[in-house]
Amino acid sequence: MSKKPVLYTVFALLVVASLVLSGCGGGITTPIVSGNTPQASQQPEPVQASQQPEPEKKVATLIFPQEFDNLAPLYSSMWFVWTTWQMFDHWAWEFDENNEPFPRLVTEIPSVDNSGVSQDGRIITMHLRDDLKWSDNVPMTADDFIFTWEMAVSPQNTVATTYPYDMIESVEAPDPQTVVVTFSEPFAPWLANLWHGILPAHILRPVYEAEGTIDNAEWLKSPTVGSGPYNFVKWESGSYARFVRNENYWGTPAKIDEIFIRFVPDDASQVAALKAGDADLGTFISFSDVPTLQDAGLDIVIEPNGYNEFMFFLVNEEKGHPALLDVRVRRAIALAIDRDGINRDLFYGLTKTPTSFWDALPYYNDPLLQPYPFDPKEAKRLLDEAGWVDSNGNGIRDKDGVELEISHATTIREARQDVQAVMQQELADVGIKLNVNAVDDTLYFASYADNGPAARGEFDIQEWSDGPLFPDPDIYYWLCDQIPTDENPTGENWFYICDEELDQLIRLQSTQVDPVERRDTISRINQLFYEKVYIIGLWQDPDVYAVGSRLQNAKFSGVTMFFNIAEWDLVP
Amino acid sequence: MESTTSQIASLSPDDLETPPLNLSQLAWRRFRRHRPAIIGLVVLTLLVLYALAGSLVFSEKYANFNDTSLRLRAPSAEHPFGTDSIGRDVLARTIYGGQISLLIGLTAVVVETFLGILVGALAGYYGGVVDSILMRITEAMLNIPEIFLLIVMAKYFGGKIPELDVFGRTFSGSVVVIVLIIGVTSWMYLARIVRAQFLSLKENEFVLAARATGTRNIEIIFRHILPNSVAPIVVSATLGVANAILAEAYISFLGLGVQPPTATWGNMLDGANNYLESAPWLWFFPGLLILLTVLSINFLGDGLRDALDPHGRTV
Amino acid sequence: MTRYLIKRLMQGIPLLFIISVVLFALMMSMGDPVATMGGRRVTRAADYERLKRQLGLDKPIYTQYLYWLVGNTWTRIDLDGDGVAEAPGTRLGILRGDFGTSLVNRKPVMQVISERIPNTLILMLTGELIVILGALLVGVYSALRQYSLLDHVVTALSFIGYSMPIFFIALLLMTVFAVLFKRWGLPYLPTVGMFDPQVGKTFGQVVYHMVLPVISMSVVSLASYSRYIRSTMLDVLNQDYIRTARSKGLPRRSVIFIHALKNASLPIATIVGLDLPFLLGGAVITERIFAWPGMGRLFLDHVSRADTPVVMGILMLVAVAVIVFQIITDVVYAWLDPRIRYD
Repeated sequence: MSKKPVLYTVFALLVVASLVLSGCGGGITTPIVSGNTPQASQQPEPVQASQQPEPEKKVATLIFPQEFDNLAPLYSSMWFVWTTWQMFDHWAWEFDENNEPFPRLVTEIPSVDNSGVSQDGRIITMHLRDDLKWSDNVPMTADDFIFTWEMAVSPQNTVATTYPYDMIESVEAPDPQTVVVTFSEPFAPWLANLWHGILPAHILRPVYEAEGTIDNAEWLKSPTVGSGPYNFVKWESGSYARFVRNENYWGTPAKIDEIFIRFVPDDASQVAALKAGDADLGTFISFSDVPTLQDAGLDIVIEPNGYNEFMFFLVNEEKGHPALLDVRVRRAIALAIDRDGINRDLFYGLTKTPTSFWDALPYYNDPLLQPYPFDPKEAKRLLDEAGWVDSNGNGIRDKDGVELEISHATTIREARQDVQAVMQQELADVGIKLNVNAVDDTLYFASYADNGPAARGEFDIQEWSDGPLFPDPDIYYWLCDQIPTDENPTGENWFYICDEELDQLIRLQSTQVDPVERRDTISRINQLFYEKVYIIGLWQDPDVYAVGSRLQNAKFSGVTMFFNIAEWDLVP
Repeated sequence: MESTTSQIASLSPDDLETPPLNLSQLAWRRFRRHRPAIIGLVVLTLLVLYALAGSLVFSEKYANFNDTSLRLRAPSAEHPFGTDSIGRDVLARTIYGGQISLLIGLTAVVVETFLGILVGALAGYYGGVVDSILMRITEAMLNIPEIFLLIVMAKYFGGKIPELDVFGRTFSGSVVVIVLIIGVTSWMYLARIVRAQFLSLKENEFVLAARATGTRNIEIIFRHILPNSVAPIVVSATLGVANAILAEAYISFLGLGVQPPTATWGNMLDGANNYLESAPWLWFFPGLLILLTVLSINFLGDGLRDALDPHGRTV
Repeated sequence: MTRYLIKRLMQGIPLLFIISVVLFALMMSMGDPVATMGGRRVTRAADYERLKRQLGLDKPIYTQYLYWLVGNTWTRIDLDGDGVAEAPGTRLGILRGDFGTSLVNRKPVMQVISERIPNTLILMLTGELIVILGALLVGVYSALRQYSLLDHVVTALSFIGYSMPIFFIALLLMTVFAVLFKRWGLPYLPTVGMFDPQVGKTFGQVVYHMVLPVISMSVVSLASYSRYIRSTMLDVLNQDYIRTARSKGLPRRSVIFIHALKNASLPIATIVGLDLPFLLGGAVITERIFAWPGMGRLFLDHVSRADTPVVMGILMLVAVAVIVFQIITDVVYAWLDPRIRYD
């Protein structure tokens, strides 16, 4: 009898303990390094009525459907991380809403005309602004740039990518405001790929010298010192991150006082929060949600980012289906799928069929090619002409005893699987059997060495969203020496296509520093893709934002997404 | 009216109302009295009919037929349950989806019953080291929450099995995967029950007698002891079907289950996730069907338990 | 008793070992964490090779398991890719308390997990409390009023309750209490997260956000526990000693609460004890629907990125908790029921 109350007491203690734990634990609270930000050291609550009426603080809430891995430059390629960088750590130059570059940390963009770029394209000279400083008032100099390069190529750091820093021979600073980058070979895509965020040498160099790596530096997890219009304050894992205005910003101060980023993994919840006015910006909105959001009064902004959804053919005598070796079969497939219909019905006409791999780079997408139209009759005629007819009456064409059954694979995502079902039916109508597969993405993109099915060429048609190395038009997938083999397991030509002409052209364009020459080469590649139907564009895959009615001046770039965040404003 | 050899006055046939009942007849009697169980049985039969006979009304081609211009239509005369995100008829899809969901439920239970009996019988009968090892393995599996195991195994096996053509229907290989992983993560409870049964039954006289006559162990297990432990196995298997259908729904909801375009009630619910408000018919009908199926199985199982196993040997 | 405890603890060790091996083997074949490190595009070849090497993923599976178990301070690893292993390892291994670092965000696994444990505990313990109290109430009441109309209604509702998939309940609740209530202008409940970041992690906020998730989770367990309590109560009420107590003239209330309930609650203690450690796993589905920052969501997020250290960390924690709680339950059970004796 005396035992039950004890049980209940123990239980109650457990509940109390956990509530207490939750109060103390959880979340990373960091002391603010810069001493001149009084707002940051207060509790995140609306200011209570004091003697002088203070102006209402402007606080914006943004929603990210995925939480970032970490916030450090160099350590992540995740979209959500890149997007946040513009808030607290600038790039040397950034890109505006038309994806045109403009100088940020430098005085002007280096080019051949202003001697910023040497004639042979190997040496880039950058002149930094002289008013740059970190939020703790330490000036930013060329030394920070040199340090960033050193950290990127150091084998002790598990950075996400060393590109393009591993192609650099040296980085020198003849004076604190000048940075000279020398590449080992002429490197055309430097503008799009260099200086994505600068590391603060004065904070991280001591860590590197003490530990031999900056992997575990405190700054990587909570970058409280930055060079951007906002300062990082707190990141509560699983819930939100908080940024406040950088009072020591070297540029024009930001208008909004505080920004919260909330992590909401569920699409439906994000939409509900936006409709309810609980958030000012939604990111990664799917097209199916656009009508409801527009009805609720939100502005939808669509920003091209170089990505388009493509189907890639595997064209190889040993690996692929023999039918796909014939360009007429590939063309028939392109004609048999009603891509405009898919875009119109499934995506509310908010996106179009991409005309080429360089769809989002109008300069390089010239002349504009028309995508293959929806013409099942012509598709059937081509298949007949190629010798694929249904000789055994099972509804599927065949030739020489081989059935026209091809496999298609993509990752698990509702939009992709819906389109798979539509394509399956449309291809069945012309007598082609499409076997569809949907694979989890970490399995799908596993490497050749890990028996990744796509890398091993197990699928005749692969589908994912891709583009050139935007905003640079560089591509490399189709190079002959990128075909994965046991000796070369990291090859990225998962389509096993070796086309001499294509290979030559791809190599040529990456060395051409003159934009006009490069454009011509890329046009020729584009024409080749079109005629040989190596790829079929399905839909454009831009960034879709939902902007709440309070948020003004918000513009987005396809590369440096929140490039003008300092100008954003809130009106009640 | 036979004469008996006993000296005790025997009852005349008129005094006997009914002949004595054997065990299964007694069980049936008890079952009949359990009203919810009868309701459950009826509803379940109707649902099975819906899934099977429905395929006579709608062809599979019709169920898979998509027309993107007809997407997300509310229920109407032509599409009584509405259309889904690419214009397929929801009613026909619930029929074919029901076939898969019920199939998964049944086959998963077959797998788990087989494994459970195997492990439980061997552990209970042989005892000693065999018992120790098997029980350690069982405990190890039990110590990991089922949903974690399901997620990890679904990822592990995902995409490894190609499409199959069975019973005239083509469906994605992930169905086999789901059946296997549900079976492999649920056999532990049955194994424990069977083991307990064997532990208590193996000391009985009929087992001693069988051993004395030199019957082989395997025969003793399967022909003597097992038939006497049928009751908790049947109850467990019945309730296991309900659990399997729910497990399939859970794992499809997380996106790791059977992949479209093969339909199951579970992945129809997952596909409805983005259309909660705008197209409630997408989740309402599959959800209702799952609810009715699981509910009727639970009623049925409850009735079976009362009928076959009134002393509560099952959990 | 002490010998029994020690024996059980010793038995737990090989158990943990088996679990860790099986799970590790499964995890390793579950996808390639480096494959998706390229952001929206496939990881570049050079980076792929380097990251695999730096994260120790290029070693064979048994070596990786060994490093996970006992660390690699006793050997050298090749960090700069020149084929010569000259840098000393820095990992201590799980046996020395080092759960490793997450492959996804490079944070120590213990930190990642401990940030989320309190959130899960709040949710699950509250839910468990509500379930037990509710089940006791409902179960006892319907046992006392067996076969009455109320009993039938409650029974029917219980069956419906545990036949519904949790997410169905959650979605229904969300639709009613959040969407529809807001449309009708009634005060509505939040459906996302644990608190409003602008207000902070206050007690009121957490309680407010906890309502819908807790109810969603509790319905199923409440339904099945209440049936279980009802049947054990019925069994107990039919026992001779209850009849004796009644015929002795004891007041009904004391008969029920003192004698009957005490004995009926033994099996409950077992179930609760066995359920508690699984709470650590969090309600995976509920947390995902309500974006609750707990262990369940952590598990889902990291499994989908094939982040072995974090997933193994969570699974091992749960396994340890289960074993420990099983022992505690057995002890408590023996304490409650003097008839039970362990060697």
